[in-house]
Amino acid sequence: MRKIFSILTIGSLTILTGCVNGDEDFNNNQSQPYEVPSELLFTNAQKELMDQMETPSVNLNVFRFFQHYLATTIYRNDARFNFTGTRKVPDNMWLALYTDVLGNLNETKKVIAGEVKPTATSQAAWEKQQANKLAIVNLLEIYTYQVLVDSFGNVPYTEAAKPESIVLPKYDDAKTIYENLISRLNTIVATLDSGYSSFETGDNIYNGDVGEWIIFANSLKLKIGINLADVNPTLAKQTVESAYASGVMLTNAENSLFKYDATSPNFNRLYAEVIASNRNDFVAEEGIVDVMNDLNDPRRPFYFTEVSGGGYVGGTVGLTNTYSANSHIGDALLPASKPGLLFDAAEVNFYLAEAAARGYTVGSSAQQYYQNAIERSMQQWGVSSAAIATYLANPNVVYSAANWKQKIGQQAWIAMYNRGFESWNFYRRLDYPVLTAPNAIPAADGKVPTRLTYPINEQTVNGANWSTASSAIGGDKLSTKVFWDVN
Amino acid sequence: MKKLTSGILLVVMSSSFIVANAQQTKPSDTLKTQEIEGVVVTALGIKREKKSLGYSSQTLDAEKVNSVPTNNFINNLSGKVAGMEIKNNGNFGGSSNIVLRGTKSITGDNQALIVLDGVPIISGNLNSSDASRGRDGFDFGNATADIDPNNIESINVLKGAAATALYGSMAANGAVIITTKKGKKSKSLGLTLNSTVSVGEIDRSTFPKYQKQYGAGYSGEDSFFNEDVNGDGTVDILAPTGDDASYGAAFNPNLMVYQWNSFVPGNPNFGKATPWVAAKNDPSKFFQKSLSFVNSFNLNGGDESNTYNLTFTNNYETGILPNSRLNKNMLSGNYSRKFNDKFTARTFLTFNDQTTVGRNSVGYGDNIMTGFRQWWPINVDILELRDEFFRTNQNYTWNMNAPLDGDLSAAFWNNPYWDRYKNYSSDDKTRLIAGAELSYDVTDKFNILGRATIDYTNSKQEIRKAVGSHAEEFGLAQADETSGYWVFDDNLVRQTYDIIGRYNLNISDKFNAIFVGGGQFFDQHQRSMENSTTGGLIIPDLYTIGNSRAYFPPIEGNIRGQKAGIYAQASFDFDKFLFLEGTIRNDTSSALPKANNNYTYYSLGSSFVFSELLKSSWLNFGKVRLSYAEVGNDMPFGRSGFFSNRGTVNGTPMADISTTYVDFNNLKPERQKSWEVGLETSMFKRRVTLDLSLYKTNTSDLLFSVPQSPSTAYSFSLINAGETENKGIEVSLGIVPLKSTDFQWDINLNWARNRNIVKSLNQGRENLQLASFQETSLNATIGQPYGTFRGTGFVYDSNGNKVVDDDGYYLVASDKVLGNIQPDWIGGVYNTFRYKNISLGFLIDVRQGGSVYSLDQSYGGLTGIYEYSAGLNDLGNPIRNTLENGGGVILTGVKQDGTPNDIRIDASYAGGAFGTDAGVPQEAFVYDASYVKLREAKLSYSLPSDLLRNTFIKGMTLSLLGQNLWIIHKNLPDADPEAGTSSGNIQGFQSGVMPTTRIYSFNVKLDF
Repeated sequence: MRKIFSILTIGSLTILTGCVNGDEDFNNNQSQPYEVPSELLFTNAQKELMDQMETPSVNLNVFRFFQHYLATTIYRNDARFNFTGTRKVPDNMWLALYTDVLGNLNETKKVIAGEVKPTATSQAAWEKQQANKLAIVNLLEIYTYQVLVDSFGNVPYTEAAKPESIVLPKYDDAKTIYENLISRLNTIVATLDSGYSSFETGDNIYNGDVGEWIIFANSLKLKIGINLADVNPTLAKQTVESAYASGVMLTNAENSLFKYDATSPNFNRLYAEVIASNRNDFVAEEGIVDVMNDLNDPRRPFYFTEVSGGGYVGGTVGLTNTYSANSHIGDALLPASKPGLLFDAAEVNFYLAEAAARGYTVGSSAQQYYQNAIERSMQQWGVSSAAIATYLANPNVVYSAANWKQKIGQQAWIAMYNRGFESWNFYRRLDYPVLTAPNAIPAADGKVPTRLTYPINEQTVNGANWSTASSAIGGDKLSTKVFWDVN
Repeated sequence: MKKLTSGILLVVMSSSFIVANAQQTKPSDTLKTQEIEGVVVTALGIKREKKSLGYSSQTLDAEKVNSVPTNNFINNLSGKVAGMEIKNNGNFGGSSNIVLRGTKSITGDNQALIVLDGVPIISGNLNSSDASRGRDGFDFGNATADIDPNNIESINVLKGAAATALYGSMAANGAVIITTKKGKKSKSLGLTLNSTVSVGEIDRSTFPKYQKQYGAGYSGEDSFFNEDVNGDGTVDILAPTGDDASYGAAFNPNLMVYQWNSFVPGNPNFGKATPWVAAKNDPSKFFQKSLSFVNSFNLNGGDESNTYNLTFTNNYETGILPNSRLNKNMLSGNYSRKFNDKFTARTFLTFNDQTTVGRNSVGYGDNIMTGFRQWWPINVDILELRDEFFRTNQNYTWNMNAPLDGDLSAAFWNNPYWDRYKNYSSDDKTRLIAGAELSYDVTDKFNILGRATIDYTNSKQEIRKAVGSHAEEFGLAQADETSGYWVFDDNLVRQTYDIIGRYNLNISDKFNAIFVGGGQFFDQHQRSMENSTTGGLIIPDLYTIGNSRAYFPPIEGNIRGQKAGIYAQASFDFDKFLFLEGTIRNDTSSALPKANNNYTYYSLGSSFVFSELLKSSWLNFGKVRLSYAEVGNDMPFGRSGFFSNRGTVNGTPMADISTTYVDFNNLKPERQKSWEVGLETSMFKRRVTLDLSLYKTNTSDLLFSVPQSPSTAYSFSLINAGETENKGIEVSLGIVPLKSTDFQWDINLNWARNRNIVKSLNQGRENLQLASFQETSLNATIGQPYGTFRGTGFVYDSNGNKVVDDDGYYLVASDKVLGNIQPDWIGGVYNTFRYKNISLGFLIDVRQGGSVYSLDQSYGGLTGIYEYSAGLNDLGNPIRNTLENGGGVILTGVKQDGTPNDIRIDASYAGGAFGTDAGVPQEAFVYDASYVKLREAKLSYSLPSDLLRNTFIKGMTLSLLGQNLWIIHKNLPDADPEAGTSSGNIQGFQSGVMPTTRIYSFNVKLDF
């Protein structure tokens, strides 16, 4: 009896310990995916990038305040460039670009590398298609890194996005990053082959059209190259000229549009922050309103609403402003399904105008590109040809080679009304228009910021590297200039 | 590893096993010893003599556990057990934090294990990670609220790993062993009725004291709009209803101003300007009296072969917030039958059904308390808002966007009554714990027990947002929504199987050994579905997912887990004064990768009853104990790091990488090593008893989602992160200063001090950020205690003065250590006076040290709500006058040259001088969280038996009780330092916290 008991007891105990399920995926949440197709990650990355570049949310994107496009009604902090208080804009932007955009792009590449060729496709066609896909993903990566470098200066690049081995990424030298971006772009332009397909689904910008992406690649090269004009004229000229020669975005038909939904939650970010939230946070700023009023600019009805009594009036950035007394963001910018604009022909034409003014060989004169640029911008909104012609004839608009920086600077600024980051780049490079910062916090030294301070979070989670980078760039301040902003 | 343990077991189990019998014949003085120390229930329900234990434990009887009626009995333990920190956040039906001996692990589970009659039960909180991290949401309580205190016989708190070695990793943080009432044979009917009625009101010291001098606005005297409101051609004064602040114009009863009520159709003041004065009813009048009824019936009885105990309790209460109520029915019982001398069977059940409506929001967003504490205009009358809501059933709010343009919609804040009656949360929870056990005495020395238990929870949580509300982030897409419905369904089943064998060697009077061996297996399955509308409700007032304008994919969960453990314990007893014990346990858990999912650990303990050798008259009992224990610890079930479904854009589906990088196959179990030494004595005829413990616990390979630089593409990595060390002292002192036949005075004192240091972090990291709040972050930094606040701080000179710049504003140092949430020590004193049939007891609960950050004080300073931002300055002029008019403040401190500050700064507009927006460092809003509270008081009268002699009633007690009667001391203004957002590791941050409720109760207890 006792022996039986012993055996039974030992038996049940042995069974007990062997009972724990040993399957590899037993511990998985059975309702959640641990693998997804690359297309899903790619579309998500595109959307996160577009959201970040276009949103007016004061938590994420404050370039419209730098550029005197918008002012706030009640909350002044962000318009006064206070980024270390309650709303940590640099932290939020860094997080969005590194984790939501670059993180998903990085994962997209990993999944693409592991994709299996469908039986119906030939090996050669498959390799070309996969190469096209990877090139396109890399294009958006390069786009994003440019935004990071231009906004912060030195940033993690070579050691970024390697969570399996590097948790304290060092910050790379900005100039070196730029050179690497250009060299990658050269490879991409060479790799992309419009004779083959790329993404069959998941590309919400160009629907997998490789030809369009080639134009995007060249335009991006031009955008990066022109920034080097003052700091490395040789490389700038070479990059810009070769980009132009390969074919850049010259007409609105080639614009990079990201399609949003008409319904919640993935509608246009302006709609989300202004209409869906039913908040009255923004008014137009007198900087842009006054200049456009002086020029009788026909884009005003699209950019702004009129005040009661007619006309356009702007508030002052950094102060509180009465919502009803000022113009607001125009209705043309607010439809829920209005596509986001990642890159446009007006912008590219202004780069070419500037390139020509600097003496680069880009196929046409500065004046021609200048006029084309203004036309493209007006055509985007649907301004009539007659009105465009009238505007171009205005002596205050007419191009002047002697004042090319002021002319291009001002017109690019007006055209880039809904593209704050690009506008900021034009401003820092050309130093026109002259923008003031009368209500800025002391830390801004009375000027429009020339960079964003590093995220406060980096001091806590990556302190040593943050400290090295801060010294390397000349101090983690709003008034430190990025490497290409030499004057 | 497994083979080795099986081998040991083979040796241990192959001899003849006999049941352990705690009742043995002994010489008379050891019998006395036994009376002194008594028998306590330890791990696995094993009864042991307390003196034989090599580790610290503390017992509370039913009286102490059920001292005051509460929704969650665990709150009654606060201050009564040395080293046990119970933190009740003050939320209606909310969760409580139960931490023993400090924070050892940085993951979410520092909570002590709750064991009910030998079965570990699921006891965590059910809150979203957002609520647990201080953002928005609701506190849906934790599962200890499912246990009926009326059914508890006693609680034994096992504090360290040695005590809980037999439970394995689940109890690495200690265990609360609950023993329910068992049937007893008795002559009486065995029926007890227990009924309590309670009334509560807010403790005014935990709610803002509003300044009464200035009204709505952000721009001081320029805040008014000057518009012709009534169209009569003259310019009128219009209050800035869109401004959610009180930094506007000074009150002046002769000034007639058009305010929010001027625009509400049907309001008595519609179309009229009213005097510009502070409202008669400020938000403190928003709270109503809370009411609670607890009725409990207990039936207890038995005979030689059967015993039974059955309890039914109903708890119905309404809270201090309008439209808040909960109803809970609990049924628990057990029945045991002795078949013959060898076989006993027992079956038990706990059933609980609870419905709650109208919990308070927690955290910053969409929270009425945030509005009252941070963004409130003092000219607005809260009771007028109430009247308007009930009259119109619409969201007419004080915070109108642009009333002159006809836009009465809410800029930021709804009418708070609209929020309570229309945008409320509700939840239903059903819980069933049931099981059966069979005990077989193979011989009189060997017993085998087999037990099977099921623990089942089904819960549903809902949040509503009615059409007409102000847009805020809501639902799964976290988009701004003006209406919506969110629902979370959760189903959790755990089956536990135990087999335990005990053998009592009983060699001689001088030497005895008891061997215990056993195995435990459990299987857990959790299925959940979180769903919400997106884009708003199509049909108003229909709160279903089908009524959603747009679609966003739900979050579905289906997680299984299994754990198996085998263990053995050997206890040796030498002549009743020297005890030695060792345990060994091996666990396998499916939560860890297969290569690392099996771990073994052991413990050793000893106790030496030196009083047996000393035999003095004044020393009744004295024992020293020493133990060492190791425990391994796994993670929660369910592998993280999966992709999430982000819906579609333009018809194209999207997926997102996780925010946490998980290299799952490289994870290994945590390991905890602890030392403990202690002294227990009883002196002077047991008039003085002392229990003293010193301990040191090191936890290494902490499993934690470590925040990291987002440039790694992830915000967190789940890794074995590092090591923490906890060291501390616990003292439990009992004194009976006065004792006579009729009168006795007992004092029970508990005191504990715990020091927690982060010793090392892996991967070269120096700091772990535990949470990032709107202001400051909570960190674990090497060489610093867990829970350090970091943020902007003052710059001090060598004499400790704060330094201001040339404009008179404080210089700000970035990324400074501002404080720490860990207290210096915690303690409690319970005094009981007994005179014949009357007893009076009261508990004073003390916490010294530790910090709390108040976002309420920071934003409330910006918006000019609190008194310190109004009043007069050193010149005798109003602070808020412009500098030209003699206003402004001179901040306390020195200028950069060392001379006292004499530069006046402008405080005439919001953000000029107060709040972090004015450049005040966050350090200014870190407060000392110390407090001294009169936590509980009870006056009872038991009717003498001769009065009841001829009645049916065997016993009757009447009691008056009070809870949270008095915060005798605190440093935090306008709030309770204990108030917070949720249980869990993220504590010490306050935004929109609830005031504390002072409760008065009357209780009648009848025994039949």
